[in-house]
Amino acid sequence: MTEGIQNVSQPQIKIENLNLWYGEKQALKNVSMQIPRNSITALIGPSGCGKSTFIRCLNRMNDLINNCRIEGKVTIEGKDIYGPDVDAVELRKNVGMVFQKPNPFPMSIYDNVAYGPRIHGANKKDLDGIVEQALRSAAIWDEVLDRLKSPALSLSGGQQQRLCIARTLAVKPKTILFDEPTSALDPISTLRIEDLTMELKKDYTIVIVTHNMQQAARISDYTGFFLMGELIEFGQTRQIFQNPREKSTEDYITGRFG
Amino acid sequence: MELNAEVKESDSKVARIQGGLSMRLNAKKSEKIAFALLGLSALTVMGFVLVILGYIIYNGYSAINIEFLTEMPRLMMTQGGIYPAIVGTIYLIIGSMSVALPVGVMAAIYLNEYAGETRTTWLIEMAINNLAGTPSVIFGLFGMALFVKYFGFGPSILSSSLTLSLLIIPVIIRSTEEALIAVPNEYRESSLALGVSKWQTIRHAVLPAAIPGIITGSILSIGRVAGETAPILFTGVAYFLPRLPDSIYSQFMALPYHLFVLATAGTNIAKTRSIQYGTALVLLIIVLSLNLIAVLIRRHYRNKLKI
Repeated sequence: MTEGIQNVSQPQIKIENLNLWYGEKQALKNVSMQIPRNSITALIGPSGCGKSTFIRCLNRMNDLINNCRIEGKVTIEGKDIYGPDVDAVELRKNVGMVFQKPNPFPMSIYDNVAYGPRIHGANKKDLDGIVEQALRSAAIWDEVLDRLKSPALSLSGGQQQRLCIARTLAVKPKTILFDEPTSALDPISTLRIEDLTMELKKDYTIVIVTHNMQQAARISDYTGFFLMGELIEFGQTRQIFQNPREKSTEDYITGRFG
Repeated sequence: MELNAEVKESDSKVARIQGGLSMRLNAKKSEKIAFALLGLSALTVMGFVLVILGYIIYNGYSAINIEFLTEMPRLMMTQGGIYPAIVGTIYLIIGSMSVALPVGVMAAIYLNEYAGETRTTWLIEMAINNLAGTPSVIFGLFGMALFVKYFGFGPSILSSSLTLSLLIIPVIIRSTEEALIAVPNEYRESSLALGVSKWQTIRHAVLPAAIPGIITGSILSIGRVAGETAPILFTGVAYFLPRLPDSIYSQFMALPYHLFVLATAGTNIAKTRSIQYGTALVLLIIVLSLNLIAVLIRRHYRNKLKI
């Protein structure tokens, strides 16, 4: 759907003619998109439309699934991430992901945030600073600073999700992928994380999958609408929600289906 | 089956209410019966354990004293103690676990985290299951052929420990596999999403969460190693060896074998009756103490993993 693509200046991520198959079933059909840097790009669409599958291509998490075949090109900062010389493990240090269900490790708050940096070889004396900075950036430092050694699972759902964000930030990626990050949370936690996301876009490129259209309208700069594995339309959020070009986009946004 | 309170003007309403009532009563009754039966089974099992324990304690405590526990046997086992048998059993536990634990855990990690669903994997799993079901006397014969004779270790702690480790490796593999499967995939995914490699993920996120299950497998194995007689029969155990083994190539005494000989072929069965029960009691105490330590360690890790 080439009409859906706007040319974006200095795109962080460029996707060209991406096709994906789970075995015989094609889940993504010829998706092309340019994701601008330091902004929030939201991906919306009904259940099963392929938006989660798509976002998992950007950090090669789909590599973990058997029978998953990909054709097409995904370039980040000009480098094809599916190229032969690219190490998926290194890629994921650069492109982080926050999942739908908050899933901190069964360790202390401190150890959760320090998990990535520790394994990547950070100095022991730098760890305290790294952990504090990550927790601050995730807007949760004030709530946990006096109990960093207590178990992460003792936090509330919203706090756990912010902890997972801190854990991702500690690795210092340039891009953060959010896969329906607030669908398991209450409205207040949702709002806090939305505010947090809008703060983060100053320093990170953010792609967020959401089944909540209002959320996309609230926080994103660009929006892409997926339907049955195809990218129907992509553009600035205001344009998509006020002046959608495609009929199916308009139908979805006005709630005629979905 | 809930009582539907909709008002329907028909005879069938009465019949339905009656039918509903009787289903409720039946459900309640069968619930009570089930609870009683299950509770009774649990109590029966506990009862057996207490009876066995009580019987052994009653008949054996008179033989327990410092001399019994710390001295060498004398006068064809009618005097002295069982110290070398205690030491021998402990050596066997340490020896077999130090081989079986690493090998078993690593095999389980390979099978669960790395191996694909291929025919080879299926064969390996099949082999492990068969190993688990093999009678222990066959392990003894195999150990004698391989370790004692072919490798030339002779009858020794080494041969017996290796034979016993073969016995318990399937137990360790199975319980480790179960523990690994129980670790939620979300932990693996979040770790990988942080740019952590697969092996690092296993080492830092998956294995620590699997430790309680691995310890459970170890508890079961310790009990088996301490109590098995057939595997050590042909590979190094001796009945009367009034000195401690001086190297892993030495022969040794062990509690279960000692008990067996005393009770069946000793030189004065009646006179050594209390020594037999005493030996059984010591064996029980050692195994229960080790189990208790393992349970405490496991509880410590379980608490770390929960809230």
